[in-house]
Amino acid sequence: MAIETVNLTIYYCQKCVIRNVNLKIPENVVFAIMGPSGCGKSTLLRSFNRLLELNPNARVEGDVRLYGRSVYDMNPIEVRRKIGMVFQLPNPFPHMSIFDNVALGLKLNGLVKSKKELREIVEWALKKAVLWDEVKDRLHDPASALSGGQQQRLCIARALAMKPQVLLMDEPTANLDPIATEKIENLIYELKKEYTIVIVTHSPAQAARVSDYVAFLYLGELVEVGKTEKIFEKPENELTERYLTGRIG
Amino acid sequence: MLREVKERLFLCGIAVAAVLTVMPLFHIIYTVAVEGIPVLMKAGLNFLTDTLAPPGEGLGGIGPAIFGTLVITTLASLLGLPVAVITGVYAAEYPESIIGRLTRTLLTIMMEFPTILVGLFVMQILVIPMGSYSAIAGALALALVMMPYVAVYTEEAFRNIPFTYREAAFSLGLSRFKVVFRVLAGMARKGMVTGMLIGMAKVAGETAPLLFTAGGSNRIYFAGLDKPVGAVPLLIYNLIQQPYENYHEIAWGASLVLLLIFLAVFLPLRLSLKEVRL
Amino acid sequence: MRDPFKISLLPFCALVFGIFTLMVAVYFTASLPVFQKEGIHIYITNVWIAVEDNPEGEFYGVLAAIYGSVYTSILAVLIALPLSIGFAVFVIDYAPQKIKEPLIVITDIMAGLPTIIYGIWGVFVLVPILRDYVMRPLYENFSFIPLFSFEPAGGYSYLTAGVLLGIMVTPFASSIIREGYRMVPFTYREAVFSLGATRYEVTKILLGYIKPVIVASILLAFGRAVGETVAVSLVVGNTFNIHPSLFAPGYTISSLIANQFGDAFIYGYMVSALFAAGLFLFVIGLIVNIGGLIILKRYVYAKGG
Repeated sequence: MAIETVNLTIYYCQKCVIRNVNLKIPENVVFAIMGPSGCGKSTLLRSFNRLLELNPNARVEGDVRLYGRSVYDMNPIEVRRKIGMVFQLPNPFPHMSIFDNVALGLKLNGLVKSKKELREIVEWALKKAVLWDEVKDRLHDPASALSGGQQQRLCIARALAMKPQVLLMDEPTANLDPIATEKIENLIYELKKEYTIVIVTHSPAQAARVSDYVAFLYLGELVEVGKTEKIFEKPENELTERYLTGRIG
Repeated sequence: MLREVKERLFLCGIAVAAVLTVMPLFHIIYTVAVEGIPVLMKAGLNFLTDTLAPPGEGLGGIGPAIFGTLVITTLASLLGLPVAVITGVYAAEYPESIIGRLTRTLLTIMMEFPTILVGLFVMQILVIPMGSYSAIAGALALALVMMPYVAVYTEEAFRNIPFTYREAAFSLGLSRFKVVFRVLAGMARKGMVTGMLIGMAKVAGETAPLLFTAGGSNRIYFAGLDKPVGAVPLLIYNLIQQPYENYHEIAWGASLVLLLIFLAVFLPLRLSLKEVRL
Repeated sequence: MRDPFKISLLPFCALVFGIFTLMVAVYFTASLPVFQKEGIHIYITNVWIAVEDNPEGEFYGVLAAIYGSVYTSILAVLIALPLSIGFAVFVIDYAPQKIKEPLIVITDIMAGLPTIIYGIWGVFVLVPILRDYVMRPLYENFSFIPLFSFEPAGGYSYLTAGVLLGIMVTPFASSIIREGYRMVPFTYREAVFSLGATRYEVTKILLGYIKPVIVASILLAFGRAVGETVAVSLVVGNTFNIHPSLFAPGYTISSLIANQFGDAFIYGYMVSALFAAGLFLFVIGLIVNIGGLIILKRYVYAKGG
């Protein structure tokens, strides 16, 4: 199991937003977490890489395990180096160039020993994110010069450069047009061969297109989880069926 | 009918108020120019480099004062900017904590502090023990005046960075030091630098903090950090109170120089920012 | 979990607090000698007996300065209030788009302008103008009114200082009011207009809505005025005086300190007396500024800011 949650319960400002969630996410798959907006999916995702701790109002009970080891036994910085994240609104650092954005994690964490190695990894990451051809001649242009879809792929490259074990994606295409969305969904399909990808989405259609496994989260509780084909063809829970047929949004 | 009249009076009153508010600036600039330009013409460029003429005759120049202003402003920045930035960062990073909130409140209070009291304070703790006025005392007084402004500007610059960039930086596995000083600082840079420059421009024009600290120097450019030093505002203040006509002329000339420098620094800064806190 | 980041930044915050505390301590300890010698009289009498070589013979009372500071600052606020409200309303509601920004920039320049420039203008321009066109005529015709009863000699007076201070603090006050007025929710404005009110009436109502902001700006402007030194000391006359007339010269606390400090060291208690005066200014400034800031904060909080 790449990621496993054990009785995970999360409180935000005394309100319980995630209740007793038990997930087992296998390696090298695309695992989607779907559900209506505001039911805690993003919060759940942020508990995996302990980014939730940036918020003093959040409290976590239960456990999250990365390859069997509790993330709470590890230094949060170490956790975040092993788990990469891509956000809903593409957020490359606007004051830095395309190259520097991808290189940032490597440079500041001291993960490369030479400029040459840095350039190689940046090129590799940009190729993996299917962005290299579009930017190779303007690596030192500011990241803000790219389109929305390109910026998101840049963020993916930025995360990939760290060679994470798991990649978290928080509604990565929510703010992109259909063409950019398609490019990223194809990218996800390619990436799963080497990475475990956990993707949060509020679109069941996207979950159906992209994932191998899907979990349906409703009002902070895990309603149903399983292989995507099965859940979509024959959901066991009535709530799941109502969500999939659009009767709850 | 009465309503109509009130309406007319009101509109007139508003316009008059607006004019009265801004008119003094134009008159001041006009006066300084009219009085100061002839002085500068008479003295030529040497005005900026010569030392002061003897009382009653000639103009000489305000060189030592200009140099002094440069010296103590730079010194004040060296003393005050680091503390200001760090305190501003703390207030921005821990806005909920008691210390964070208290710090912000204290800084806001210190911004409104009568500057003469700062000068008096520095006099008591530095000038008196040292036995003389000094550049370092003047610099310290100015640093204390500058610090709250720069801190508040820094705090706002950091606070305005969207949360998502903070998340992105942390998600790369960076320590808080690196997130704040290597990533976020780059984004806050413009606001911070503007704040620093505005702080420096402001203290370069201050007189009261220097009254009992810098001492003033009309003949000597720079005698040492622990010796008195001149400053343009201080010089003007002293010259005005002298009975000699030529000293009044020099005061106008110096005022023109000060005004020009202030506008040259302040206007671009102000135009590059949407709002300014003074 | 100990946060190394927080811990390493903390000393700097501590430094700021330390400096402030040190300042308070210095003022108290430096004032102590004159408190011990005169007690409360330092603040309630108007006398300035400075004798060399005989410290016991000295006696100081800074009442004149306190009176002057309050008098001139009140004058300044009386001038600044209508001007800053009028300016704020004009800029936000009536100014054509093209001159809105320039007007605001002008007031920002005025707020940041080195005060010595206000001072030199005050001495050579404002003083003669006020003396010849305002004070002399008023004195000649209305000297039976206490406010106008002092014979204007050079023109250095409470009036001149008050006017100069008023000019200086108006931009500051108007920026606070402007901000508050601008932030009145648009729906509120629409509602008032839709009731068929004239522009004057609408403005009156909206100003009532931001009354706390206006009060706060009065307090903060007063605080600024009372703390101003060089511009005031050049035009107020620097005389130990307590006189109701606008045309009389006087002292303010800050100008007293600025003026007397040069020679203070010769005497036994003068330095301490000046620190005591400074302490008073410190306290007034603190009260007025904290008061203004609290009112502003409460207002912003209440309106969901």
